[in-house]
Amino acid sequence: MHRRQFMGLLASASLAGAVIPGCARETPLRVGMIHWIGYEPLFVAKEFGWLGDSVALTRTASGSETITGLLNGSLDAGGMTLDEALRVSSQGVPLTVIAVMNVSAGADAVMVRPEITGLRDLKGRRVAVELQAVSAVMLLKVLEEAGLTRADIEEIDLPVDQHAQAWRRNEIDASVSYEPMASVLESLGAKRLFDSRSLPETIFDVLVVRRDRISQRKGALRSLLVSHFKGLNHLVRNFHDAVYRVATRQEVTPEAVRHALGTVTLPDLSTNQRYLAPEGQVDKAAGNLQALLLKEGLMAQPVDLDRLCNASFLPRSPV
Amino acid sequence: MKRLLLLLMLGLSMAVKAPLALAADELTLGVFAYRPVDIVMSKYQPLAEYLSEKTGLTVRLQVLGQEDMNRALAANQLDLFLTNPSHFLVIRSERSVTGVLATVLRRSGATSTASVGGVIITRSQRDDLNELTDLAGQMIASPGIHFLGGYQSQLLELKEAGIDVRRGSRIKLLGSHDRVVRAVVDGDVAAGFIRTGIIEDMLTENPRLGDQLKVLNPQNLTGFPFRVSTRLYPEWPLVALPHVDQRLVRRVAAALFSLNRNDPAARAAGIAGFAPPADYQSVEQLARDIRVAPYDQAPQLTWLDAFHQYRLWVIAIAVLMTLLLASSLWLGRKKRQLATSQRRLRRLILSWPQPMVMIRDGKFLYTNRAAVELLRYESWASLTNKSVASFLPSLQPDGLSSTGKISDTMNRVHRGAVETGEWLFQRADTSELWVEMTLAPIDGGGENEHVLLCALYDITRRKQAEKRQRLAASVFDHVGEAIVITDEHGMVVEVNTAYGAMTGRTRAQTAGRLPPLPLEEGSGVLQATRERGFWSGEFEWKRSDGPPLNLALTMSAVYDEQGNVTHFVGIYSDISAIKKQEDQLRTMAHYDALTGLSNRSLFADRLQQTMAQARRQNDHLAVVYIDLDHFKPVNDAFGHSAGDDLLVEVASRMRSTLREEDTLARLGGDEFAAIIVNVEDRASLENLLKRLLADIAEPVWVADHLVEVSASIGVALYPQTVELDGDQLLRQADQAMYRAKQGGRNGYCLFETTGIEA
Repeated sequence: MHRRQFMGLLASASLAGAVIPGCARETPLRVGMIHWIGYEPLFVAKEFGWLGDSVALTRTASGSETITGLLNGSLDAGGMTLDEALRVSSQGVPLTVIAVMNVSAGADAVMVRPEITGLRDLKGRRVAVELQAVSAVMLLKVLEEAGLTRADIEEIDLPVDQHAQAWRRNEIDASVSYEPMASVLESLGAKRLFDSRSLPETIFDVLVVRRDRISQRKGALRSLLVSHFKGLNHLVRNFHDAVYRVATRQEVTPEAVRHALGTVTLPDLSTNQRYLAPEGQVDKAAGNLQALLLKEGLMAQPVDLDRLCNASFLPRSPV
Repeated sequence: MKRLLLLLMLGLSMAVKAPLALAADELTLGVFAYRPVDIVMSKYQPLAEYLSEKTGLTVRLQVLGQEDMNRALAANQLDLFLTNPSHFLVIRSERSVTGVLATVLRRSGATSTASVGGVIITRSQRDDLNELTDLAGQMIASPGIHFLGGYQSQLLELKEAGIDVRRGSRIKLLGSHDRVVRAVVDGDVAAGFIRTGIIEDMLTENPRLGDQLKVLNPQNLTGFPFRVSTRLYPEWPLVALPHVDQRLVRRVAAALFSLNRNDPAARAAGIAGFAPPADYQSVEQLARDIRVAPYDQAPQLTWLDAFHQYRLWVIAIAVLMTLLLASSLWLGRKKRQLATSQRRLRRLILSWPQPMVMIRDGKFLYTNRAAVELLRYESWASLTNKSVASFLPSLQPDGLSSTGKISDTMNRVHRGAVETGEWLFQRADTSELWVEMTLAPIDGGGENEHVLLCALYDITRRKQAEKRQRLAASVFDHVGEAIVITDEHGMVVEVNTAYGAMTGRTRAQTAGRLPPLPLEEGSGVLQATRERGFWSGEFEWKRSDGPPLNLALTMSAVYDEQGNVTHFVGIYSDISAIKKQEDQLRTMAHYDALTGLSNRSLFADRLQQTMAQARRQNDHLAVVYIDLDHFKPVNDAFGHSAGDDLLVEVASRMRSTLREEDTLARLGGDEFAAIIVNVEDRASLENLLKRLLADIAEPVWVADHLVEVSASIGVALYPQTVELDGDQLLRQADQAMYRAKQGGRNGYCLFETTGIEA
């Protein structure tokens, strides 16, 4: 199970799989992503009608559905983590990153039994991790930090939404997971040993577009990003309003939304420009991720990182 | 009334509190009267008391309308105030404030919120009002402009739905939320704007309100405790003013944040406490979006700001503008030059005295003044688009169809030829117009229209002159009179056909010679013509190869501008026939038609002459009266023709008997008379008379019969003793003849003055 799918499943599946056919003269740009706090700016924009006719935003039921849509061409663009973008690209459908939607700042965490007090204590422990999702990256980073290798631990490949169950059955000692599963485990007595606050600007959620669709859809891509930043503005500046709307959409309390927003940072336009610049943070992170994934055999072949980012669709001036 | 009361209260409090406000241990909290003053007062009095208790200060509560609060703030009569965010923005723009101490947490049952929004209410029965767009053109009540939840938040939603309710003053500002709700319930207005929480507040007092009202554009917001129609904004701020001691402010803030949601003060105010100050950016943005105070003016951007921000653009645009300006100026100058030369060219063509026309596709495009006048039109505009063919008669004088000829000609010109020809035009008034028309192509390269320049030259006069000349030549050639034109010396230059016929000479034979002139006058005729301008006369002219002719000539002189004779023109008429006729008439007047002898009148003339001659020459003459005897029986027996033959024969015999100088005349019928001149003696006279009688008596062969007649002759002599005239003399002879008849006929008798027969 891919990252964020869990959050997606918590939400209502009413819109699941509904790819809304465009009714405009030109087929709208089809964009798919799950309901996840870091993707909320676009859904806020959709709620206020700022997407316009050129963009059709669809909520997907899971991260894997987004990936399938991009691979089979039913989607032109989507939201996913950077490592997922690299893995899709290596499967023969090159993707281009046109914006960073959020950076994990505590949303990804390693939850452990209370007796584990340090990273090195993980040695020899049963660690639940979902290798095909962003958890794998988190695990590798944690092991790197701890000076351990995958061989030093007992790796249990398990979709994140099953971690709580495994925890209760005492099948695992540690869980590499993310919000809100991390909070669920916390309520079951788990301790937060490590989280993505210690890995600043490493775990990115990005807006990607199929590279073969770029040339025909430049206008739509620009208006997609304008809508994103408009939504982001509302989320940040009209927080008193947005908190209720996000809560309604995600079917959680406003308090939970406040908490979730604390675990991600939503980069604004100028930060995006910095991230997407050549040799910028995304390029660097992608290089590291690719090396890591290749080394660990989690990715079949390398992708061309030179053309990974394209900042040309970011709005020229603040929206 | 209420406002008056409020003012009174304010006046009183000002008078009382002005000195107290300066006291260190007293603070005045102003609360905005968003609902009726008494309600707000009762809601917030416990809070003031709570603050007094917690801080150890005396906190006084004042509930004020927005304008009163503004005035109180201007007079520094408030130390703390609590109002809605929109009003706060206005205050902050007008004066400095310390900043927001805390944001109200509104409570509703077990939950609370730091957000406030707007509600759009209408009566439940209004089935026609369901969407935001249904509010277009409806009367709407609102508490006031500086109400976030009661005005501004709704305006943004309506604006985004495409409705501008401010246009046409469809908004009634009522001052408070309660009045808005009342106006909606009473049906005074279609809808009302109120802030969140008001309905829920009022429901506790009046539970039926829930059925009476409905909320438009309801927002489904999980966890938000109130009904709402708009997006949400931060709740009311509690603000301290700069003049308040910072230590006091901290004490107040501490008291505010430690207010428990179950505290009676919080319960009374309907709040759950105070939260840390919210970010009021979204309210500012709202005010900007809908352009209300303090953002009702667009931000002033200085030129320098713009320049710094868009330096490259500004420079690029400046360069482009300069280039544009330069090229515009250059183009403008070129255009003026072009216009001038075009005007000049146009004037040239327009005022050129020769008619000029531009033709496109066989129709007039431009015509100059001369052409308009030539075709007798009012203006060139009325000529435009008339086809050239409409000015041509159906046939040209050379027999070709006009339309065919003109289209052939134009086709040749389209191929580049220049065509000149004489054309007959017909104007609208059917008058004819001869022109020499020159057509030339003036197509520029690449133009797909064929434009021709056409110059017209009016040759109507020339054509008319030619016609007259041809007529004159034709007259000259075909007239019956012979006409000759000579030079000033009288030598023939030109003759007409009749002249040739008259003279029998060819044109070559006559040229360089004198024309026929009277023999006796000759070139005198020319001299006379030269002097008097003309000469006319008749003369006989001997034609070389025929009988002589009688000619009448009128000779006229032709002068040049200086009055010198350059030519003579002579007109000859052959009057030979007339002359002959005249002679015949004369003969008929003096001679007897049957016998050719003189008649009575000529005889009388001759007698007169002879008598005069005889008197002069002292000669003698005799008048003989001869009357045939027995002539009537011949006439009766053989007819008048036979009688005539007899008379002719007798006359002829008598004539041959008489001498040449004697005159014989027939006086009528069978009576004759003769004048015998130079009578020498009686004997010779009597011999003559006897011979006459003998000749007459000879038988005459008439009508196949031999007829014999005789004559009785009477004679009278002259001169006599008394003078007498011819008639008397002839009468004497007649009397003598009568006596001879009496004497037995065939004899003669001489008249005796004595009356005695000789």
